[in-house]
Amino acid sequence: MFLTRSEYDRGVNTFSPEGRLFQVEYALEASKLGSTAIGLLTREGVVLAVEKQITTSLLEPKSIEKIVMIDDCIGCAMSGLTADARTLMEHGRVETQNHRFSYNEAMSVESTTQALCNLALKFGEGDNESMSRPFGASLLIAGHDDNGPALFHTDPSGSYWETNAKAIGSGSEGADTALTDHYNRNMSLAEAETLALSILKQVMEEDLTSLNVDIASVAPEFHLYSAEEVEAVIARL
Amino acid sequence: MSMVFAPQLAEAAPTSHAGASWSPYDNNGGTCVAIAGGDYCVIAADTRMSTGFSILTRDHSKIHQITEKCVLASSGFQADIRALQKNLDARHQIYQHQHSKQMSCPAMAQLLSNTLYYKRFFPYYAFNVLGGLDTEGKGCVYTYDAVGSYERSGYSSQGSGQTLIMPVLDNQLKSASPLVLPPRESSTPLTESEAVDLIKDTFASAAERDIYTGDGVEIVIINKNGIRRETMPLKRD
Amino acid sequence: MSKTGVNEVLSKGGFSFDLCRRNAMLQQQGAKLPKYRKTGTTIVGLIFKDGVILGADTRATEGEIVCDKNCEKIHYLAPNISCCGAGTAADTENVTDMISSQLTLHRYATGRVSRVVTALTMLKSHLFGYQGQVSAALVLGGVDVTGPHLHAVYPHGSTDTLPFATMGSGSLAAMSVFESRYKEDLTRDEGMEIVSAAICAGIFNDLGSGSNVDLCIITKEGKEYLRNYQQPNPRSYTRSKGYDFKNGHTAVLSTNITQLRQHVQVLEGDAMEEE
Repeated sequence: MFLTRSEYDRGVNTFSPEGRLFQVEYALEASKLGSTAIGLLTREGVVLAVEKQITTSLLEPKSIEKIVMIDDCIGCAMSGLTADARTLMEHGRVETQNHRFSYNEAMSVESTTQALCNLALKFGEGDNESMSRPFGASLLIAGHDDNGPALFHTDPSGSYWETNAKAIGSGSEGADTALTDHYNRNMSLAEAETLALSILKQVMEEDLTSLNVDIASVAPEFHLYSAEEVEAVIARL
Repeated sequence: MSMVFAPQLAEAAPTSHAGASWSPYDNNGGTCVAIAGGDYCVIAADTRMSTGFSILTRDHSKIHQITEKCVLASSGFQADIRALQKNLDARHQIYQHQHSKQMSCPAMAQLLSNTLYYKRFFPYYAFNVLGGLDTEGKGCVYTYDAVGSYERSGYSSQGSGQTLIMPVLDNQLKSASPLVLPPRESSTPLTESEAVDLIKDTFASAAERDIYTGDGVEIVIINKNGIRRETMPLKRD
Repeated sequence: MSKTGVNEVLSKGGFSFDLCRRNAMLQQQGAKLPKYRKTGTTIVGLIFKDGVILGADTRATEGEIVCDKNCEKIHYLAPNISCCGAGTAADTENVTDMISSQLTLHRYATGRVSRVVTALTMLKSHLFGYQGQVSAALVLGGVDVTGPHLHAVYPHGSTDTLPFATMGSGSLAAMSVFESRYKEDLTRDEGMEIVSAAICAGIFNDLGSGSNVDLCIITKEGKEYLRNYQQPNPRSYTRSKGYDFKNGHTAVLSTNITQLRQHVQVLEGDAMEEE
């Protein structure tokens, strides 16, 4: 038999002899192919910014939705296979609403992240509810709860990390380096907006306009910026 | 507003379990009272457990602590009450694991309502008063019917002595008329020790006239310093 | 006469229970009948060396509510006979009053001390006539020329003659004391102690019984009625602050004062002279 590593990448439930799950690793790669998304935590709240790749001038920019609201005080930016990410978003919305029904209170950001990761890990189980393969998307989950503002990052393996600033997607390597250099825990929300856009501008191939970026903040409620608000931030660059 | 639920109780001891007169419910009597103040909550219940004209025990606690700041006092059918308490304990344990914090009293109130309504057509025969401190540290009292209708109030009474005690609490803790100016808050104007004093007197009075209330009263006081228990003997006839 | 009962034959004598049947039918159809006061009760009696001791608790209940904390359940029948009553308060009170009156008339007619068996026979024939509808369960005791007697009388009219008897909802609790401690030729003090212990067993273990202990000791020398012989259930707590209401606790919505006429005017005739 023709022995290569591909021998172990056919099933999502088979480890390679080195202890790797290739399908998960491929999903990680898929999530890195997506457009760049950046999240920054400040004491006032959290800023999310994403690049929207307008592949043709015929495309309606509003139809590209890469930042979505999960709950009143929780938003999420995605990178990778957006269709997969939307499944996760829907799950998050159901979970946060269930929590409100059960306890008459908002779900915490970490619990919401955990709920999303629980679904991200539910693949290859063969039943009708679960996906046959890993979700090819990474997420930045921004929110505000009893403990103040919080930012989380998840990947297709179902792991999550709490972070001060993080970039995901194709430009994430460069963006992360820039964040390490310029991010500061005490920056204002407005400073975070401009830092996010300036980094996005560096990693984008196109010129940055109000049409090809989305910005949202959670401070403490989720708010997706209008074109005018985005232009105001661009003007500050 | 609050729906009244009164399942048919077996008056005399049923002769045969297979007979038509058999009922899955019994009424074990007892009275619960709770008073909320600005920074405290007092929850009390008598310790008699009875059936028909017999006393089963003179020393049975009807008060169950669920969280550090939230206790449940219940009268009705003890088997159902125990099942309900175990259910809530388990749900709280899971909540703590999932959300890394204790459930707040308002969250527990909503959960209790859902738990009761879930058994809408075979209810827990339990009449509950939930008391504790809310997220701001204010005293809170929630009062229920058997199928989950609930309301936050400044004070409440449930159980066999309810009809004797409630008018006294109305008189002492609520302004005589809504026309009296300035209007008083639903939160009681009593100090903690005055509230305990009033509760002791209402129980002594209820024990005089309600045959299912007696033997002893257990008083739980929750304030910023924590939780404290007191007991006082009542008439044993 | 109703047309429905074609085969209805007028009864030749005795009581008619038509209304009882009607009430049962109405109740079955969901009609709420008026509640009546039942003395969920402990009553007892025993024979001791010199006579009879009767005992009773003093709680009267209406369902789960205590409506009298210190009622009297030992009823007078004759100077030498008393009777404890359990069941519907109205029935026990009226039955004993009726029999008491008849015994008095009987004494006037005969000039003799009433006998306990006379009272017993009158009670049981009355109760039997009413087929249990008069719900009186009694412990009858007294001393007459034939000695001390103790009887239990059931609502349907049957009777027992016993050295010790208990009745009411607390009868099992009280009987446990008698069964373990009764013996023949008890002294007066021993008898009183056992009777009050039996009543206390009812008071503390039966929710239908409560409050105080009443005793009645009958010997051939006479009757001693010890009302509230024991009071083992004082109120456990009284609020230190009391319940004083400040002026203005009740809102005044409107005020209207009507002056009463201060002097009587005599319109006709002469006014009485004032000195």
